[in-house]
Amino acid sequence: MGGLIQNIKLIGADLPKLEALREKGRNSFLSQGLPTAKTEAWKYTRVRELADDDFVMEETCGSDCSKEHSSCCCQGKCALPFDAYEIHFCDGKLREDHFHLPEGVQALPLIDAVAENETTAFLNKSFEMQNFPFAALNTAYLEQGVFLRVESGVCLDKPLAFIHHSHGGVKRFANLRNIVVLETGAQATLIEVYQYSGEAKSEYCNNIVNEIFIGRQAVLRHYKIQSEALKAVHIALNAVKVRENGLYESFCRQKGANLARQETHVVLQESGAEAVVNAVYMMNGWATLDTTTDIEHLAQNTRSNQLVKGVVGGQAKGVFQGKIHIAPNAVQTEGYQLHKALLLSDEAEVDVKPELEIFADDVKCSHGATCGELDAEQLFYLQSRGIGAEEARQMLIEAFVDESFQMIKDDNIRHWMKSF
Amino acid sequence: MTAPLLEIEDLHARAGDKEIIKGFNLTINEGEVHAIMGPNGAGKSTLSYVLCGKPGYEIISGNVRFKGKDLLSMSIEERAREGLFLIMQYPVEIPGVPTTAFLKHAVNAIRLHRGEPELDTMEFIKMVRETGKSLGIDNEMLKRPVNVGFSGGEKKRMETLQMTVLKPDMAILDEADSGLDIDALKVVAEGVNALRNGKRSMLVITHYQRLLNYIVPDFVHVFANGHIVKSGNKNLALELEEKGYAEFIKDKA
Repeated sequence: MGGLIQNIKLIGADLPKLEALREKGRNSFLSQGLPTAKTEAWKYTRVRELADDDFVMEETCGSDCSKEHSSCCCQGKCALPFDAYEIHFCDGKLREDHFHLPEGVQALPLIDAVAENETTAFLNKSFEMQNFPFAALNTAYLEQGVFLRVESGVCLDKPLAFIHHSHGGVKRFANLRNIVVLETGAQATLIEVYQYSGEAKSEYCNNIVNEIFIGRQAVLRHYKIQSEALKAVHIALNAVKVRENGLYESFCRQKGANLARQETHVVLQESGAEAVVNAVYMMNGWATLDTTTDIEHLAQNTRSNQLVKGVVGGQAKGVFQGKIHIAPNAVQTEGYQLHKALLLSDEAEVDVKPELEIFADDVKCSHGATCGELDAEQLFYLQSRGIGAEEARQMLIEAFVDESFQMIKDDNIRHWMKSF
Repeated sequence: MTAPLLEIEDLHARAGDKEIIKGFNLTINEGEVHAIMGPNGAGKSTLSYVLCGKPGYEIISGNVRFKGKDLLSMSIEERAREGLFLIMQYPVEIPGVPTTAFLKHAVNAIRLHRGEPELDTMEFIKMVRETGKSLGIDNEMLKRPVNVGFSGGEKKRMETLQMTVLKPDMAILDEADSGLDIDALKVVAEGVNALRNGKRSMLVITHYQRLLNYIVPDFVHVFANGHIVKSGNKNLALELEEKGYAEFIKDKA
């Protein structure tokens, strides 16, 4: 396990605060170790792959690096079919250090933001390391990522997209940390795409932490596609804090990786704060795809809604752990959660763990989980009209997940995410 | 001389352990409309499902030829593409699948099989809207998911619309009148009658004679105990309406 703590040179070693934080991250990870079957938060999702000692933490090369990457094979590979501000990462490293964004939007490489003391109020402020071993590990390697701030009242006119490409070859372990701050009344759409170039069987690991701070009346819409190589590991935490009447709305589509976990931890701190956390996961083979959510309602009049749909074939495994916590004073809150899974084979598996912790009266709260197969009557009906068996199955699978995709209000983004 | 379209010879079939179709024989020639009437539970719906290949039914013995080909060896979709269409008694609802998208898939699958070019979206929409209009199906209904929230009458009109655009050689109507008021029944019957053209054949399965006032059959067969016990012309239906099925069920004992 010590294999993931490696002595590599990180940029920013001259920043004492940063070095101290990295040290805390190392210690926190070492004291926790990798999660095992006995770790409650990870009981369904095993991370055996990561126990191998052969992952490599790569040092960031010098100033020539960006030139090298500008001719990278993956350039232009993920052209979004709509207009967006794009920030590219290659194998977990930022490909550029200047971003062209409109006035009122500030974006810096994380290290630059730390150096300029922009991150003091935000870095490692959205989660407790002792509950998140991979976020602790991520902290030990703080270096790569973006600090984004949308100033008060500014509405970003186009989505901002973090586009990630990973390559095969080295069994690379990349750590990424982004900080997103929306000041009062700001609005933005953030897109994250993770995909690979080269071998479908490339082995690598991306460990991502996004710290998101949503101010009063601010709105962040956050869309993510995880389409990593089939043997890759992808572990992501979105740690979100939402203030009065702010809204965090997310949709994550997972379709790649051999082991992936999307964890979303939202704290609704003040009255009127709202979270919408929707997801679709679809996979075959032997993959494990985990969707874990934890919504904390700390104030009155807060709302949360979750719809997660999974389609699992082959010998794959889907995991959904969803927690809604309502604090004693968080009256008149609403928290809803629904998970629906479709199993396409006898060996496919879905593990579901919903948890409601309600300490307040006068709340509306519900959770539900269903698990089923394709409907034989519906299949017969489609086939009896001349539609081929495979096409009919595909239509029914698409119909099953369509309800989730309909939650994406923007037509361009919805079409893109559906057809990706 | 008309050619036989559907030939069923000594068909035996079961659902689970129970033999339901027992020695069924029937030949339907091109352009003919046959009605099969029988008491509830006689296996009328089973017959329609077996012919269309619905899973859950096992053929014990017998032959079925459709246009001279072995029907029973074909998949569900092959039977449909060859020109067999079933108006279902209880059409299933399919949330998330828009009616027009579903219909376009079906129409083009069948056109492809017939060696006809696929219709593009514009041509298709135009054709479906025009057909829909004559059946009282508006554009709003076409945009909704397949059968979702449709009344009994709307579902049957939608079945009729599908039949009209898919242009089958042989249509089986399984209790097409169940759940319909008289106005809806007329609309469906008119839709069906509009498709009678001297080539296309129909097998109308019904419990009541009422439907046969609107879709007048060339032949009427009484189905009981898993096979045809009596055949005649349309007057047989009137006779059954008067006397009921009692004399045929008695045979069972």
